[in-house]
Amino acid sequence: MKLNKRTMIVVMLVLCTALLASSSAFAVEEIKIGALFPLTGPAAVSGQNCVNSVLAAAEVINTKNPGIKAPLAANAGLLGGKYVIKIVPADHQGKPDVAKSEAERLYNQEKVFAIIGCYNSAATKPASAVAERAKKIFMCGCSSSAALTERGYKYFFRHAPTDAIESVEFVDYIDYLNKNKKAGIKTLGLIYENTEFGKHAADEARKAAKKINLTVVADVPFNNGATNLNSEVQKLKSANPDAVFGAALGGDYSLWVRTMKQVNWLPKIALNYCTGYQNPAVQKELGADGNFFMGGMGYSPELAKKFMPEAIKIQDKYYTPKSNQPFDSDSIQEAVMLMVLAQAIEKAGAVDTEKVLKVLQTMDFPSVMSLSGSVKFGPDGQNVKALSVITQLENQSYNTVFPLKYKDKEPIVPMVPWNKRK
Amino acid sequence: MSNFLQVLIDGILSGLLYALVAAGLSMIWGVMDVINFAHGEFLMVAMYICYWMGFMLGLDPIFTWIASGIFLFILGGLTYKWVIKRSLGKAAMAPLLATFGLSMLLKNFCMNRFSPNFRLLSGTLLDGRTFEIGGAIVSVPQLVTGLFSLAIIGALYYLIKKTRLGWAIQATAMDKEAAELMGIDTEKIYLLVFGLGGACVGIAGGLMTTYLAVHPEVGSLFSLIAFVVVALGGFGSIPGALFAAILIGLVESFTGFYVAAVLKYVAVFAIYLLVILVRPKGLFGW
Repeated sequence: MKLNKRTMIVVMLVLCTALLASSSAFAVEEIKIGALFPLTGPAAVSGQNCVNSVLAAAEVINTKNPGIKAPLAANAGLLGGKYVIKIVPADHQGKPDVAKSEAERLYNQEKVFAIIGCYNSAATKPASAVAERAKKIFMCGCSSSAALTERGYKYFFRHAPTDAIESVEFVDYIDYLNKNKKAGIKTLGLIYENTEFGKHAADEARKAAKKINLTVVADVPFNNGATNLNSEVQKLKSANPDAVFGAALGGDYSLWVRTMKQVNWLPKIALNYCTGYQNPAVQKELGADGNFFMGGMGYSPELAKKFMPEAIKIQDKYYTPKSNQPFDSDSIQEAVMLMVLAQAIEKAGAVDTEKVLKVLQTMDFPSVMSLSGSVKFGPDGQNVKALSVITQLENQSYNTVFPLKYKDKEPIVPMVPWNKRK
Repeated sequence: MSNFLQVLIDGILSGLLYALVAAGLSMIWGVMDVINFAHGEFLMVAMYICYWMGFMLGLDPIFTWIASGIFLFILGGLTYKWVIKRSLGKAAMAPLLATFGLSMLLKNFCMNRFSPNFRLLSGTLLDGRTFEIGGAIVSVPQLVTGLFSLAIIGALYYLIKKTRLGWAIQATAMDKEAAELMGIDTEKIYLLVFGLGGACVGIAGGLMTTYLAVHPEVGSLFSLIAFVVVALGGFGSIPGALFAAILIGLVESFTGFYVAAVLKYVAVFAIYLLVILVRPKGLFGW
């Protein structure tokens, strides 16, 4: 076949245009963000939820979502579409030493711009120390140990309310129950995993208990991943506290609840710091046994319907297809941190750590996935707008019972005894 | 008094479960001098079998332990034929490393296939059943597991001590070449021992599904305790495994309640260290 000169010019033009189009497509650069979570080990369920949540947020940022009224959702990519977010997942197995080495690998070998993580406070502590030394940004979604933001770190930012904030909320709630519902709660038992998270939660609980003269009558730390929790629950039962504050991850949480059923004992109320209680997968397995327990939460589908409608859209479009369940209070906070980081990059106008850091330290970020509606970091890196509510589980639903502003159901206090449940 | 009785009962029931988990490991270790590093993952596989049979077919683990026992008997046999046999007689660490590889394979397969989610069978026949003795509450699922454990360990002991097959197993354990000269097919004995070891942990895993959650990591701590039980009781000694397991269950339970819950495994490993230092072949070892 012989082409004439005019046809040749047209073919060449088409080819050049195609080449230019493809080269402009290739010109989109990736901002690599490490997602460091426990993808194996006792907290693997929660870790995988966290990664899926971060991936969902990345999709909101990278693609056009005109139907979602969230910052960065309307356009594809960052800085005029020049950059997209690429998530690099990494597994710390719930082990602090692995978290440290994985953080080093992510920054030095994968060349990530920042890390989001690590779920377990015990893992977040060494991983964020690596970030601080490397002068790299570390965004922490849900690790709640108050000690994390008491180190004077410059590159560390945390979204979640701390154990200190939750402990105060727990005792305020007990005070409210005593005064308004005549609950008669005078004694407290603590059961917590013997880790950074659990020990700090217990410390804060002891401090908060003094505020309303709640006497701590049982203090039971346990090794996470234990084969049984018989002696731990037996200790609680023999002290018979009116209220129990619990800090246990998924598998340990379900073992704790089942062991309480086995020894046929319940306190008047049980309040849990995040983790196992908040995980819908754990509650699904516990079924009716999980009912009437309470805990602090920053998200529940029921709460979101009223106060965070855009989060529901992100959940249905991007998160549930990956995780086969709604967001939970822990995982959604990791997504928030990616959205905040992306907004900071956009405001800074460059993928430059120091410029982004300045924005993170000074600005107020709207957040459709936070109960308070926005995020603002204090000088210590703690989100000063961190907010959580107390919920009570009933038939797989998290009913909000405190503070009164958010309350949608009356609490069931005391908990219904095991032998009186249907 | 009821606290003491409760702690005693908890300790004995935990110990009986540990004994069943450890019995298979003890036999394999005693007869073949092979450490099966995949023992904990065999337990996990058995639990998944019973969980899925319960979840998909509505069969109760109180019956499906037979299926998990048979499956693990076959898996044990196949492990011997495909993994152990090929590594025996090579480097001393070869069987250990091979079973370590197998454990990683099984754990990661289940992690990938079934996700790390915790899965509990609710509404089983024994679910939540308890009764009271002298103020102490006895969990029926744990009691049934303990009774099964006693029966199976008794049957295993009878097999080894009172039958010709058991004598052949003992002869193979003592001197493989001499046993072959006496006409014993040691290959078949090894195959059978690995199968029996698998069956024991298969039954234990199946029964555990009545009250414990299954997830890919569930075998890890149980296998560690099983190693302690075997070393403490004496390699290859079934009564030793039973005694050591109950001792460990009691130490765990009493330390957990009367000292500090967080120290219960410290006490278990401290006693193990003490016994190993004083009597390296274990309490009942040859």
